[in-house]
Amino acid sequence: MESNVIISVNQVNFYYGAVRALTDISMKFRKNKVTALIGPSGCGKSTLLRLLNRMNELIDGTRVEGEILFEHQNIYEPHVDPVEIRRKIGMVFQKPNPFPKTIYNNISYGPKLNGVTSADMDELVEQSLKQAVLWDEVKDILNKSAMNLSGGQQQRLCIARALAMKPDILLMDEPTSALDPISTAKIEELIEELKENYTIIIVTHNMQQAARVSDETAFFYLGNLIEYNKTEKIFTTPDVKQTEDYITGRFG
Amino acid sequence: MNKATHRNFIRWRYFKQSVFFTLVRASALVITLALGGIILYIIMNGFSAISWDFITKPPTDAMTKGGIMPAILGTIYLTVGAIATGLPLGIASAIYLTEYAKQGRIIRLIKIGINCLAGVPSVVFGLFGLGFFVIFLGFGSSILAGSLTLGFLILPTIIGASEEALKAVPQTFREASLSLGVSKWQTTYRIVLPNAMPGILTGSILGIGRAAGETAPIMFTAAAYFTAKLPGSIFDEVMALPYHIYVLATAGTNIEATRPIQFGTVLVLVGVVLGIDLIAIIIRGYMRRNKRW
Repeated sequence: MESNVIISVNQVNFYYGAVRALTDISMKFRKNKVTALIGPSGCGKSTLLRLLNRMNELIDGTRVEGEILFEHQNIYEPHVDPVEIRRKIGMVFQKPNPFPKTIYNNISYGPKLNGVTSADMDELVEQSLKQAVLWDEVKDILNKSAMNLSGGQQQRLCIARALAMKPDILLMDEPTSALDPISTAKIEELIEELKENYTIIIVTHNMQQAARVSDETAFFYLGNLIEYNKTEKIFTTPDVKQTEDYITGRFG
Repeated sequence: MNKATHRNFIRWRYFKQSVFFTLVRASALVITLALGGIILYIIMNGFSAISWDFITKPPTDAMTKGGIMPAILGTIYLTVGAIATGLPLGIASAIYLTEYAKQGRIIRLIKIGINCLAGVPSVVFGLFGLGFFVIFLGFGSSILAGSLTLGFLILPTIIGASEEALKAVPQTFREASLSLGVSKWQTTYRIVLPNAMPGILTGSILGIGRAAGETAPIMFTAAAYFTAKLPGSIFDEVMALPYHIYVLATAGTNIEATRPIQFGTVLVLVGVVLGIDLIAIIIRGYMRRNKRW
Protein backbone atom coordinates (compact mmCIF):
# COMPACT_ATOMS: atom_id res chain seq x y z
CA MET A 1 0.00 0.00 0.00
CA GLU A 2 2.75 2.53 0.99
CA SER A 3 4.59 2.11 -2.30
CA ASN A 4 1.48 3.09 -4.20
CA VAL A 5 1.16 6.44 -2.48
CA ILE A 6 1.86 9.41 -4.75
CA ILE A 7 0.73 12.25 -2.52
CA SER A 8 0.54 12.22 1.19
CA VAL A 9 -1.15 15.01 3.10
CA ASN A 10 0.02 15.26 6.72
CA GLN A 11 -1.86 17.26 9.34
CA VAL A 12 -2.71 20.13 7.04
CA ASN A 13 -4.50 23.23 8.28
CA PHE A 14 -5.41 25.97 5.85
CA TYR A 15 -6.53 29.53 6.52
CA TYR A 16 -8.11 32.27 4.42
CA GLY A 17 -7.05 35.20 6.59
CA ALA A 18 -8.39 34.34 10.05
CA VAL A 19 -10.89 31.78 8.77
CA ARG A 20 -9.79 28.17 8.99
CA ALA A 21 -10.97 26.32 5.87
CA LEU A 22 -9.31 22.96 6.51
CA THR A 23 -8.70 21.35 9.87
CA ASP A 24 -5.99 18.78 10.48
CA ILE A 25 -6.33 16.89 7.21
CA SER A 26 -4.25 13.74 6.76
CA MET A 27 -4.77 11.41 3.82
CA LYS A 28 -2.86 9.50 1.17
CA PHE A 29 -3.64 9.52 -2.55
CA ARG A 30 -2.78 6.37 -4.46
CA LYS A 31 -1.08 6.13 -7.82
CA ASN A 32 -3.15 5.36 -10.95
CA LYS A 33 -6.38 5.56 -9.01
CA VAL A 34 -9.27 7.93 -9.28
CA THR A 35 -9.97 9.59 -5.96
CA ALA A 36 -13.16 11.60 -5.55
CA LEU A 37 -13.52 14.42 -3.03
CA ILE A 38 -17.16 14.97 -2.10
CA GLY A 39 -19.09 17.06 0.37
CA PRO A 40 -21.47 20.02 0.53
CA SER A 41 -20.49 23.49 -0.74
CA GLY A 42 -17.88 25.18 1.41
CA CYS A 43 -16.65 21.93 2.97
CA GLY A 44 -13.07 22.53 1.81
CA LYS A 45 -12.81 19.90 -0.94
CA SER A 46 -11.84 22.40 -3.66
CA THR A 47 -9.50 24.14 -1.24
CA LEU A 48 -7.69 20.86 -0.62
CA LEU A 49 -7.49 20.15 -4.35
CA ARG A 50 -5.94 23.54 -5.01
CA LEU A 51 -3.43 22.98 -2.22
CA LEU A 52 -2.03 20.01 -4.10
CA ASN A 53 -0.63 22.17 -6.93
CA ARG A 54 -0.15 25.32 -4.86
CA MET A 55 -2.87 27.28 -6.65
CA ASN A 56 -4.26 28.66 -3.38
CA GLU A 57 -1.25 30.88 -2.88
CA LEU A 58 -2.49 33.08 -5.73
CA ILE A 59 -4.99 34.41 -3.21
CA ASP A 60 -3.61 37.06 -0.86
CA GLY A 61 -3.74 36.32 2.84
CA THR A 62 -3.81 32.51 2.77
CA ARG A 63 -1.68 30.31 5.01
CA VAL A 64 -0.84 26.60 5.11
CA GLU A 65 0.31 24.51 8.06
CA GLY A 66 1.47 20.91 7.90
CA GLU A 67 3.08 19.19 4.94
CA ILE A 68 2.08 17.74 1.59
CA LEU A 69 4.54 15.17 0.28
CA PHE A 70 4.74 14.57 -3.45
CA GLU A 71 7.42 12.05 -4.41
CA HIS A 72 8.76 12.25 -0.83
CA GLN A 73 9.24 16.00 -1.10
CA ASN A 74 7.22 18.53 0.90
CA ILE A 75 5.91 20.85 -1.82
CA TYR A 76 5.57 23.66 0.71
CA GLU A 77 9.29 23.77 1.56
CA PRO A 78 10.56 27.30 0.90
CA HIS A 79 13.02 26.20 -1.79
CA VAL A 80 10.40 24.37 -3.88
CA ASP A 81 9.34 26.24 -7.01
CA PRO A 82 5.54 26.07 -7.49
CA VAL A 83 6.07 26.27 -11.25
CA GLU A 84 7.93 22.93 -11.12
CA ILE A 85 5.13 21.37 -9.06
CA ARG A 86 2.47 22.52 -11.50
CA ARG A 87 4.37 20.97 -14.42
CA LYS A 88 3.92 17.58 -12.80
CA ILE A 89 0.47 18.13 -11.36
CA GLY A 90 -1.95 19.37 -14.00
CA MET A 91 -5.36 20.86 -13.40
CA VAL A 92 -8.76 21.06 -15.11
CA PHE A 93 -11.14 23.73 -13.89
CA GLN A 94 -14.83 23.95 -13.18
CA LYS A 95 -15.65 26.09 -16.19
CA PRO A 96 -13.88 25.29 -19.47
CA ASN A 97 -11.25 27.99 -19.82
CA PRO A 98 -9.46 27.66 -23.16
CA PHE A 99 -7.23 30.57 -24.15
CA PRO A 100 -8.53 32.83 -26.93
CA LYS A 101 -6.05 31.16 -29.27
CA THR A 102 -6.31 28.47 -31.92
CA ILE A 103 -6.97 24.88 -30.87
CA TYR A 104 -3.39 23.97 -31.81
CA ASN A 105 -1.90 26.85 -29.83
CA ASN A 106 -3.99 26.04 -26.79
CA ILE A 107 -2.27 22.65 -26.63
CA SER A 108 1.21 23.80 -27.62
CA TYR A 109 1.25 26.80 -25.25
CA GLY A 110 2.49 24.98 -22.14
CA PRO A 111 4.96 22.57 -23.80
CA LYS A 112 6.46 25.35 -25.93
CA LEU A 113 7.26 27.47 -22.88
CA ASN A 114 8.76 24.39 -21.26
CA GLY A 115 11.17 23.64 -24.06
CA VAL A 116 9.40 21.25 -26.45
CA THR A 117 10.69 22.06 -29.93
CA SER A 118 8.37 22.75 -32.84
CA ALA A 119 9.64 19.61 -34.59
CA ASP A 120 8.02 17.44 -31.92
CA MET A 121 5.01 19.67 -31.40
CA ASP A 122 2.68 18.32 -34.12
CA GLU A 123 2.97 14.84 -32.73
CA LEU A 124 2.46 16.00 -29.15
CA VAL A 125 -0.65 17.99 -30.11
CA GLU A 126 -2.13 15.04 -31.97
CA GLN A 127 -1.30 12.62 -29.18
CA SER A 128 -2.79 14.89 -26.48
CA LEU A 129 -5.99 15.49 -28.45
CA LYS A 130 -6.32 11.74 -29.08
CA GLN A 131 -5.90 11.04 -25.37
CA ALA A 132 -8.71 13.48 -24.66
CA VAL A 133 -10.83 11.83 -27.41
CA LEU A 134 -11.15 15.12 -29.24
CA TRP A 135 -8.84 14.51 -32.20
CA ASP A 136 -11.45 13.24 -34.66
CA GLU A 137 -13.69 16.24 -34.01
CA VAL A 138 -11.02 18.92 -34.42
CA LYS A 139 -8.28 17.50 -36.64
CA ASP A 140 -9.42 19.61 -39.59
CA ILE A 141 -9.89 22.84 -37.65
CA LEU A 142 -6.71 22.97 -35.57
CA ASN A 143 -6.09 26.54 -36.68
CA LYS A 144 -9.55 27.78 -35.76
CA SER A 145 -10.18 29.58 -32.49
CA ALA A 146 -10.88 27.29 -29.55
CA MET A 147 -13.68 29.66 -28.56
CA ASN A 148 -15.83 28.25 -31.38
CA LEU A 149 -15.98 24.80 -29.78
CA SER A 150 -18.94 23.64 -27.70
CA GLY A 151 -18.66 23.63 -23.90
CA GLY A 152 -18.00 19.90 -23.76
CA GLN A 153 -15.39 20.09 -26.51
CA GLN A 154 -13.76 23.03 -24.76
CA GLN A 155 -13.49 21.04 -21.54
CA ARG A 156 -11.91 18.09 -23.37
CA LEU A 157 -9.54 20.59 -24.98
CA CYS A 158 -8.60 21.79 -21.50
CA ILE A 159 -7.94 18.19 -20.50
CA ALA A 160 -5.80 17.70 -23.61
CA ARG A 161 -3.97 20.93 -22.78
CA ALA A 162 -3.17 19.63 -19.30
CA LEU A 163 -2.14 16.20 -20.67
CA ALA A 164 0.26 17.82 -23.15
CA MET A 165 2.47 18.69 -20.18
CA LYS A 166 2.72 14.94 -19.44
CA PRO A 167 1.84 15.38 -15.78
CA ASP A 168 1.87 12.59 -13.21
CA ILE A 169 -1.34 13.73 -11.59
CA LEU A 170 -4.45 15.36 -13.00
CA LEU A 171 -6.54 17.45 -10.61
CA MET A 172 -10.14 18.04 -11.71
CA ASP A 173 -12.26 20.66 -9.98
CA GLU A 174 -15.90 19.80 -10.76
CA PRO A 175 -15.00 19.32 -14.43
CA THR A 176 -18.53 18.56 -15.60
CA SER A 177 -20.61 20.95 -13.52
CA ALA A 178 -20.96 23.37 -16.45
CA LEU A 179 -21.69 20.66 -19.04
CA ASP A 180 -24.75 18.89 -20.44
CA PRO A 181 -25.35 15.16 -19.69
CA ILE A 182 -23.90 13.88 -22.97
CA SER A 183 -20.69 15.88 -22.59
CA THR A 184 -20.55 14.76 -18.97
CA ALA A 185 -20.77 11.11 -20.01
CA LYS A 186 -17.91 11.63 -22.48
CA ILE A 187 -15.69 13.19 -19.81
CA GLU A 188 -16.49 10.32 -17.42
CA GLU A 189 -15.51 7.74 -20.05
CA LEU A 190 -12.35 9.71 -20.58
CA ILE A 191 -11.51 9.62 -16.87
CA GLU A 192 -11.90 5.84 -16.97
CA GLU A 193 -9.32 5.61 -19.79
CA LEU A 194 -6.90 8.13 -18.34
CA LYS A 195 -6.43 6.35 -15.04
CA GLU A 196 -4.30 3.72 -16.77
CA ASN A 197 -1.55 6.31 -17.06
CA TYR A 198 -2.43 9.05 -14.63
CA THR A 199 -3.43 9.57 -11.06
CA ILE A 200 -6.70 11.49 -10.99
CA ILE A 201 -8.13 13.46 -8.10
CA ILE A 202 -11.58 14.83 -8.81
CA VAL A 203 -13.82 17.16 -6.83
CA THR A 204 -17.47 16.64 -7.60
CA HIS A 205 -20.86 17.73 -6.40
CA ASN A 206 -22.46 14.88 -8.20
CA MET A 207 -22.64 11.79 -6.00
CA GLN A 208 -23.50 9.42 -8.84
CA GLN A 209 -20.45 10.69 -10.67
CA ALA A 210 -18.23 9.96 -7.69
CA ALA A 211 -19.74 6.47 -7.46
CA ARG A 212 -19.30 5.85 -11.20
CA VAL A 213 -15.76 7.06 -11.81
CA SER A 214 -13.78 6.81 -8.61
CA ASP A 215 -11.91 4.02 -6.84
CA GLU A 216 -11.71 5.85 -3.54
CA THR A 217 -13.86 8.56 -2.06
CA ALA A 218 -13.22 11.11 0.65
CA PHE A 219 -16.13 12.88 2.33
CA PHE A 220 -15.53 16.35 3.72
CA TYR A 221 -17.72 18.40 5.99
CA LEU A 222 -16.99 21.88 7.43
CA GLY A 223 -13.29 21.64 6.68
CA ASN A 224 -12.86 18.19 8.23
CA LEU A 225 -12.16 14.89 6.54
CA ILE A 226 -15.04 12.78 7.83
CA GLU A 227 -14.46 9.52 6.03
CA TYR A 228 -12.03 8.23 3.42
CA ASN A 229 -12.35 4.75 2.00
CA LYS A 230 -12.95 2.65 -1.09
CA THR A 231 -15.80 4.13 -3.10
CA GLU A 232 -17.76 0.91 -2.93
CA LYS A 233 -17.59 0.92 0.84
CA ILE A 234 -18.48 4.63 1.17
CA PHE A 235 -21.56 4.25 -0.99
CA THR A 236 -22.80 1.00 0.51
CA THR A 237 -21.75 0.71 4.14
CA PRO A 238 -20.13 3.95 5.33
CA ASP A 239 -18.65 3.87 8.81
CA VAL A 240 -19.79 7.31 9.81
CA LYS A 241 -23.39 8.40 10.21
CA GLN A 242 -22.74 11.86 8.64
CA THR A 243 -21.42 10.23 5.46
CA GLU A 244 -24.49 8.10 5.18
CA ASP A 245 -26.76 11.10 5.72
CA TYR A 246 -24.97 13.02 2.99
CA ILE A 247 -24.88 10.31 0.34
CA THR A 248 -28.48 9.39 0.92
CA GLY A 249 -29.41 13.03 0.41
CA ARG A 250 -30.56 13.88 3.91
CA PHE A 251 -28.46 17.06 3.91
CA GLY A 252 -26.02 18.93 1.67
CA MET B 1 -55.88 48.51 -6.62
CA ASN B 2 -58.86 48.63 -8.98
CA LYS B 3 -58.62 48.63 -12.74
CA ALA B 4 -58.83 52.39 -13.29
CA THR B 5 -56.20 53.32 -10.71
CA HIS B 6 -53.99 50.58 -12.05
CA ARG B 7 -54.30 52.06 -15.54
CA ASN B 8 -53.44 55.48 -14.17
CA PHE B 9 -50.47 54.03 -12.37
CA ILE B 10 -49.18 52.50 -15.58
CA ARG B 11 -49.78 55.71 -17.46
CA TRP B 12 -47.88 57.70 -14.85
CA ARG B 13 -44.99 55.30 -15.13
CA TYR B 14 -44.87 55.70 -18.89
CA PHE B 15 -45.04 59.46 -18.48
CA LYS B 16 -42.07 59.46 -16.12
CA GLN B 17 -40.18 57.25 -18.52
CA SER B 18 -40.82 59.50 -21.50
CA VAL B 19 -39.75 62.59 -19.54
CA PHE B 20 -36.53 60.91 -18.60
CA PHE B 21 -35.85 59.69 -22.14
CA THR B 22 -36.47 63.16 -23.51
CA LEU B 23 -33.97 64.62 -21.06
CA VAL B 24 -31.35 62.05 -21.93
CA ARG B 25 -31.90 62.52 -25.64
CA ALA B 26 -31.72 66.28 -25.29
CA SER B 27 -28.38 66.17 -23.51
CA ALA B 28 -26.97 63.81 -26.12
CA LEU B 29 -28.20 66.22 -28.80
CA VAL B 30 -26.67 69.27 -27.10
CA ILE B 31 -23.28 67.58 -26.89
CA THR B 32 -23.41 66.42 -30.49
CA LEU B 33 -24.41 69.88 -31.65
CA ALA B 34 -21.67 71.56 -29.65
CA LEU B 35 -19.04 69.20 -31.03
CA GLY B 36 -20.40 69.48 -34.56
CA GLY B 37 -20.56 73.27 -34.22
CA ILE B 38 -16.94 73.54 -33.18
CA ILE B 39 -15.74 71.30 -35.98
CA LEU B 40 -17.90 73.07 -38.55
CA TYR B 41 -16.64 76.46 -37.35
CA ILE B 42 -13.03 75.35 -37.66
CA ILE B 43 -13.58 73.87 -41.10
CA MET B 44 -15.44 76.94 -42.40
CA ASN B 45 -12.75 79.31 -41.19
CA GLY B 46 -9.73 77.18 -41.79
CA PHE B 47 -10.48 75.36 -45.02
CA SER B 48 -9.56 78.32 -47.24
CA ALA B 49 -6.05 78.32 -45.78
CA ILE B 50 -5.41 74.67 -46.54
CA SER B 51 -3.38 73.95 -49.62
CA TRP B 52 -0.60 71.62 -50.62
CA ASP B 53 1.94 74.37 -49.99
CA PHE B 54 0.42 75.07 -46.57
CA ILE B 55 1.19 71.61 -45.31
CA THR B 56 4.48 71.07 -47.11
CA LYS B 57 6.27 74.46 -46.89
CA PRO B 58 7.77 76.34 -43.93
CA PRO B 59 6.38 79.75 -42.92
CA THR B 60 7.65 82.86 -44.70
CA ASP B 61 7.37 86.65 -44.29
CA ALA B 62 7.64 86.62 -40.48
CA MET B 63 5.08 83.79 -40.29
CA THR B 64 2.34 85.75 -42.04
CA LYS B 65 2.55 83.64 -45.18
CA GLY B 66 3.77 80.22 -46.26
CA GLY B 67 3.05 76.86 -44.65
CA ILE B 68 3.30 75.10 -41.34
CA MET B 69 5.18 71.97 -42.29
CA PRO B 70 7.83 72.25 -39.52
CA ALA B 71 5.07 72.53 -36.92
CA ILE B 72 3.20 69.49 -38.27
CA LEU B 73 6.36 67.45 -38.20
CA GLY B 74 7.27 68.76 -34.76
CA THR B 75 3.89 67.77 -33.33
CA ILE B 76 4.16 64.29 -34.84
CA TYR B 77 7.66 63.86 -33.38
CA LEU B 78 6.56 65.06 -29.96
CA THR B 79 3.43 62.90 -29.90
CA VAL B 80 5.25 59.77 -31.04
CA GLY B 81 7.95 60.57 -28.47
CA ALA B 82 5.33 60.97 -25.75
CA ILE B 83 3.74 57.61 -26.68
CA ALA B 84 7.17 55.96 -26.77
CA THR B 85 7.83 57.22 -23.23
CA GLY B 86 4.39 57.07 -21.67
CA LEU B 87 3.06 53.78 -23.05
CA PRO B 88 5.81 51.36 -21.94
CA LEU B 89 6.24 53.11 -18.59
CA GLY B 90 2.48 53.28 -18.02
CA ILE B 91 1.87 49.64 -18.97
CA ALA B 92 4.79 48.50 -16.82
CA SER B 93 3.46 50.43 -13.82
CA ALA B 94 -0.04 49.05 -14.33
CA ILE B 95 1.32 45.49 -14.57
CA TYR B 96 3.16 45.98 -11.30
CA LEU B 97 0.12 47.48 -9.60
CA THR B 98 -2.41 44.87 -10.74
CA GLU B 99 -0.41 41.67 -11.23
CA TYR B 100 2.49 41.76 -8.80
CA ALA B 101 2.05 44.19 -5.93
CA LYS B 102 0.40 42.91 -2.77
CA GLN B 103 -2.83 44.87 -2.50
CA GLY B 104 -2.64 46.99 0.62
CA ARG B 105 -2.28 50.46 2.02
CA ILE B 106 0.89 51.38 0.12
CA ILE B 107 -0.61 50.39 -3.21
CA ARG B 108 -3.76 52.38 -2.42
CA LEU B 109 -1.58 55.37 -1.66
CA ILE B 110 0.30 55.00 -4.94
CA LYS B 111 -3.00 54.80 -6.83
CA ILE B 112 -4.29 57.95 -5.15
CA GLY B 113 -1.03 59.63 -6.09
CA ILE B 114 -1.47 58.63 -9.72
CA ASN B 115 -5.00 60.00 -9.77
CA CYS B 116 -3.78 63.27 -8.27
CA LEU B 117 -1.15 63.44 -10.99
CA ALA B 118 -3.96 63.32 -13.56
CA GLY B 119 -5.41 66.47 -12.06
CA VAL B 120 -2.18 68.49 -12.04
CA PRO B 121 -2.39 71.46 -14.45
CA SER B 122 -0.32 70.94 -17.56
CA VAL B 123 1.72 74.09 -16.99
CA VAL B 124 3.07 72.47 -13.83
CA PHE B 125 4.30 69.57 -15.95
CA GLY B 126 5.87 72.17 -18.22
CA LEU B 127 7.76 73.72 -15.34
CA PHE B 128 8.80 70.29 -14.06
CA GLY B 129 10.09 69.47 -17.56
CA LEU B 130 11.98 72.76 -17.68
CA GLY B 131 13.58 72.21 -14.29
CA PHE B 132 14.35 68.51 -14.63
CA PHE B 133 14.87 67.57 -18.29
CA VAL B 134 15.91 70.89 -19.82
CA ILE B 135 18.13 72.25 -17.06
CA PHE B 136 19.06 69.50 -14.58
CA LEU B 137 19.62 66.73 -17.14
CA GLY B 138 20.90 69.28 -19.66
CA PHE B 139 18.74 68.19 -22.60
CA GLY B 140 18.05 71.84 -23.46
CA SER B 141 14.82 72.82 -25.13
CA SER B 142 14.49 69.78 -27.39
CA ILE B 143 12.29 67.04 -28.83
CA LEU B 144 13.65 64.74 -26.12
CA ALA B 145 12.76 67.03 -23.22
CA GLY B 146 9.33 67.81 -24.72
CA SER B 147 8.52 64.16 -25.41
CA LEU B 148 9.49 63.13 -21.90
CA THR B 149 7.41 65.94 -20.39
CA LEU B 150 4.37 65.00 -22.50
CA GLY B 151 5.01 61.34 -21.70
CA PHE B 152 4.76 62.09 -17.99
CA LEU B 153 1.66 64.20 -18.62
CA ILE B 154 -0.22 61.29 -20.20
CA LEU B 155 1.16 58.70 -17.79
CA PRO B 156 -1.82 58.76 -15.37
CA THR B 157 -4.26 58.27 -18.25
CA ILE B 158 -2.30 55.32 -19.60
CA ILE B 159 -1.82 53.73 -16.16
CA GLY B 160 -5.53 54.08 -15.43
CA ALA B 161 -6.58 52.60 -18.77
CA SER B 162 -4.05 49.78 -18.49
CA GLU B 163 -5.12 48.87 -14.95
CA GLU B 164 -8.75 48.59 -16.04
CA ALA B 165 -7.83 46.56 -19.12
CA LEU B 166 -5.61 44.18 -17.11
CA LYS B 167 -8.29 43.68 -14.48
CA ALA B 168 -10.81 42.87 -17.23
CA VAL B 169 -8.78 39.82 -18.33
CA PRO B 170 -10.57 36.85 -16.73
CA GLN B 171 -8.78 35.35 -13.73
CA THR B 172 -9.44 31.91 -15.26
CA PHE B 173 -6.91 32.67 -18.03
CA ARG B 174 -4.21 33.35 -15.44
CA GLU B 175 -5.12 30.20 -13.51
CA ALA B 176 -5.13 28.07 -16.65
CA SER B 177 -1.70 29.30 -17.65
CA LEU B 178 -0.17 28.96 -14.17
CA SER B 179 -1.63 25.47 -13.78
CA LEU B 180 0.37 24.43 -16.86
CA GLY B 181 3.64 25.13 -15.08
CA VAL B 182 4.09 28.46 -16.81
CA SER B 183 5.78 31.16 -14.75
CA LYS B 184 4.03 34.29 -13.59
CA TRP B 185 5.97 36.58 -15.92
CA GLN B 186 5.33 34.33 -18.93
CA THR B 187 1.65 34.24 -18.01
CA THR B 188 1.55 38.03 -17.82
CA TYR B 189 3.50 38.48 -21.03
CA ARG B 190 1.87 35.76 -23.16
CA ILE B 191 -1.71 35.64 -21.92
CA VAL B 192 -2.68 38.66 -19.84
CA LEU B 193 -0.99 41.42 -21.80
CA PRO B 194 -2.12 40.40 -25.32
CA ASN B 195 -5.70 40.15 -24.09
CA ALA B 196 -5.50 43.51 -22.34
CA MET B 197 -3.80 45.34 -25.21
CA PRO B 198 -6.95 46.45 -27.10
CA GLY B 199 -8.33 47.95 -23.89
CA ILE B 200 -5.02 49.60 -23.07
CA LEU B 201 -4.95 51.23 -26.51
CA THR B 202 -8.55 52.42 -26.24
CA GLY B 203 -7.74 54.28 -23.06
CA SER B 204 -4.43 55.50 -24.32
CA ILE B 205 -5.98 57.14 -27.37
CA LEU B 206 -7.33 59.79 -25.00
CA GLY B 207 -3.82 60.42 -23.73
CA ILE B 208 -2.44 60.58 -27.25
CA GLY B 209 -4.91 63.29 -28.25
CA ARG B 210 -3.98 65.24 -25.15
CA ALA B 211 -0.26 64.93 -25.84
CA ALA B 212 -0.69 66.26 -29.36
CA GLY B 213 -2.81 69.21 -28.32
CA GLU B 214 -1.09 70.51 -25.17
CA THR B 215 0.72 73.84 -25.34
CA ALA B 216 1.92 74.61 -21.84
CA PRO B 217 4.14 71.53 -21.31
CA ILE B 218 6.09 72.09 -24.53
CA MET B 219 6.33 75.88 -24.28
CA PHE B 220 9.36 75.66 -21.95
CA THR B 221 10.70 72.30 -23.03
CA ALA B 222 10.57 71.82 -26.79
CA ALA B 223 8.77 74.40 -28.87
CA ALA B 224 10.52 77.00 -30.96
CA TYR B 225 8.90 80.31 -31.83
CA PHE B 226 10.16 79.96 -35.34
CA THR B 227 12.62 77.70 -37.07
CA ALA B 228 12.60 77.05 -40.76
CA LYS B 229 15.07 74.22 -40.52
CA LEU B 230 13.89 70.77 -39.60
CA PRO B 231 15.28 69.08 -36.52
CA GLY B 232 18.42 67.03 -37.14
CA SER B 233 18.30 65.08 -33.89
CA ILE B 234 16.20 64.63 -30.76
CA PHE B 235 18.28 67.33 -29.11
CA ASP B 236 16.93 70.02 -31.46
CA GLU B 237 14.06 72.38 -30.86
CA VAL B 238 10.98 72.04 -33.03
CA MET B 239 7.95 74.07 -33.94
CA ALA B 240 4.68 72.47 -32.83
CA LEU B 241 1.09 73.06 -33.93
CA PRO B 242 -0.48 74.04 -30.58
CA TYR B 243 2.33 76.44 -29.76
CA HIS B 244 2.28 77.83 -33.30
CA ILE B 245 -1.43 78.60 -32.92
CA TYR B 246 -0.75 80.24 -29.57
CA VAL B 247 2.04 82.36 -31.05
CA LEU B 248 0.08 83.44 -34.11
CA ALA B 249 -3.00 84.29 -32.10
CA THR B 250 -1.29 86.23 -29.30
CA ALA B 251 2.22 87.26 -30.15
CA GLY B 252 2.47 87.20 -33.92
CA THR B 253 3.65 90.12 -36.01
CA ASN B 254 0.21 90.62 -37.51
CA ILE B 255 -2.48 88.84 -35.56
CA GLU B 256 -5.51 89.93 -37.59
CA ALA B 257 -3.98 89.18 -40.98
CA THR B 258 -3.00 85.67 -39.97
CA ARG B 259 -6.48 84.56 -38.78
CA PRO B 260 -6.99 82.19 -41.75
CA ILE B 261 -3.58 80.66 -41.09
CA GLN B 262 -4.51 80.24 -37.42
CA PHE B 263 -7.71 78.42 -38.30
CA GLY B 264 -5.93 76.39 -40.94
CA THR B 265 -3.39 75.34 -38.32
CA VAL B 266 -6.16 74.37 -35.90
CA LEU B 267 -7.76 72.29 -38.63
CA VAL B 268 -4.49 70.55 -39.35
CA LEU B 269 -3.94 69.88 -35.63
CA VAL B 270 -7.37 68.26 -35.39
CA GLY B 271 -6.49 66.23 -38.49
CA VAL B 272 -3.15 65.10 -37.06
CA VAL B 273 -4.76 64.04 -33.76
CA LEU B 274 -7.46 62.10 -35.60
CA GLY B 275 -4.81 60.54 -37.85
CA ILE B 276 -2.77 59.30 -34.88
CA ASP B 277 -5.95 58.04 -33.20
CA LEU B 278 -6.88 56.23 -36.39
CA ILE B 279 -3.56 54.40 -36.45
CA ALA B 280 -4.12 53.33 -32.83
CA ILE B 281 -7.66 52.18 -33.69
CA ILE B 282 -6.40 50.12 -36.63
CA ILE B 283 -3.74 48.46 -34.46
CA ARG B 284 -6.40 47.75 -31.85
CA GLY B 285 -8.73 46.20 -34.43
CA TYR B 286 -5.90 43.98 -35.59
CA MET B 287 -5.22 42.85 -32.02
CA ARG B 288 -8.90 42.18 -31.34
CA ARG B 289 -9.31 39.61 -34.12
CA ASN B 290 -8.81 36.64 -31.85
CA LYS B 291 -10.25 38.17 -28.74
CA ARG B 292 -13.51 36.59 -27.70
CA TRP B 293 -14.48 35.25 -24.33
